[in-house]
Amino acid sequence: MLVCPWEHMFVNFKKNVLFFCVHLKGANSYGQLGLGHKEDVLVPQALEDFSCKCEDIASIAGGGGHSAVVTGAGQLFVCGHNKDGQLGLNHTEDVLRFTLCTALSGFCVKQVACGWDFTIILVGSGLVLSCGSNSFGQLGLPQISGPCLIPQKIESLKENVMNVAAGLRHALAATDSGLVLQWGTGMASQARRASQGKALPVFLTAKEPCEVAGLADVKVKAVAAGSCHSVSLTDEGHLYVWGSNKHGQLVSRNIFLAEPKKIDTQCFSHERIGAVWSGWTHLVARTEAGKVFTWGRVDYGQLGRHAVVPSGQQSTASEQCLELGNTPVSVPCLNGASQIACGSEHNLAIVGGQCFSWGWNEHGMCGDGTEANVHVPKPVKALGCAKQILIGCGAGHSMALCQNSSLDPILQVLQPKRQTRMLLIISG
Amino acid sequence: MAVFHDEVEIEDFEYDEETGTYSYPCPCGDRFLITREDLENGEDVATCPSCSLILRVIYDQVGAEGGWSVLMNASWTVLLWDEKVWAW
Repeated sequence: MLVCPWEHMFVNFKKNVLFFCVHLKGANSYGQLGLGHKEDVLVPQALEDFSCKCEDIASIAGGGGHSAVVTGAGQLFVCGHNKDGQLGLNHTEDVLRFTLCTALSGFCVKQVACGWDFTIILVGSGLVLSCGSNSFGQLGLPQISGPCLIPQKIESLKENVMNVAAGLRHALAATDSGLVLQWGTGMASQARRASQGKALPVFLTAKEPCEVAGLADVKVKAVAAGSCHSVSLTDEGHLYVWGSNKHGQLVSRNIFLAEPKKIDTQCFSHERIGAVWSGWTHLVARTEAGKVFTWGRVDYGQLGRHAVVPSGQQSTASEQCLELGNTPVSVPCLNGASQIACGSEHNLAIVGGQCFSWGWNEHGMCGDGTEANVHVPKPVKALGCAKQILIGCGAGHSMALCQNSSLDPILQVLQPKRQTRMLLIISG
Repeated sequence: MAVFHDEVEIEDFEYDEETGTYSYPCPCGDRFLITREDLENGEDVATCPSCSLILRVIYDQVGAEGGWSVLMNASWTVLLWDEKVWAW
């Protein structure tokens, strides 16, 4: 039987008075969707009891198993996995609904970057705080040996910070003078294996903020972090990358870049880059003119474009993968994207006021109601014609803030399949 | 045959001594797991409890734990070397 979604939406709209709501989709094993349960959600579902006015939300971010929302007033709301205190709530219980991080009440939060199991918080005065796991020095707080359950100031960061990013086991900050600092030893073992005995730059092994060498002549305005690589965007619209190039994400022939390397502007048709985002092993950049380029790992559809095999060439599947992902290629259907967000292996974009998704979809993070990978960006139909304002991704989950939208919970496809996960948390 | 999501060196895994389990982040938000016992038995596939992705664990069998067993009687002696190999 066909059910008119509009009718349900209307009923739901009136019933719940949902003028603004946050939709989340994707893996939910730790409650990172903030829905009050831990079951996977394959199509976007509205958050109904979010205790902040959603029109005030300024940005949304996600980590390995946690989510964070920053309000225009500078408050931080968090939910999800909290084993290492990454929510900064002074405990280690998972939190199933978005909860205000009261430890930050004296600060105006400007930006939050969620790493795998830690959180980096940039506050109004240019200070940076961190909480969560410190196993790899990713908190930038070498004096703290274990995890940190309450956000702590990174005192050694003396300069005003403008932008932060967090990867699996490392973090980055760009200062107002254009410096880049990195901390966390996430790249060190790969660097050591690739360096064949040569000394490594200090910033690859630092457990507190350490200036990234090789960027002295440029002024960096934004940073992004992959699982094991780093990206810097300069004020001249150039990209510098370093770290692991296992999947061609650094546009280089070397398996590892120990120091920043500029990506040739020719790759972007000599256009200046205006913004850059990173998945775990793929990158997305938007030029100032609005073209969107993708490169890096391609096998789950991360790049949002079909791999075109050059005719007449014989090469193995893995060679093709590397070659095809290795060069930034423009994805025309994303032209003019106002926002982009990258999960580990999937992506969201807002183009023409509509939310598009592509990439890995095993947990329904592309929000199309299936678990089949999406190789070409397609609109998230379940969000309907609601005005989509903000998007955010965690590793395996997606979030979209919509205006004047509502979705009937009856229509949602819920797929519980995570009973085993609870055991894992206990044993872990 | 299943396709490996990635190949990761054992030194990049985190080890939990209580459970004897090595873990590495999975893109779904969970972790790839392999126990020390699995490694000792020559297993090199770490699995994620929450999704279909699998990881090949790269490790050298660099450690050995062994002991001699001695069987003797009046006319012959057998020395038997038992060895367990593991990685860390």
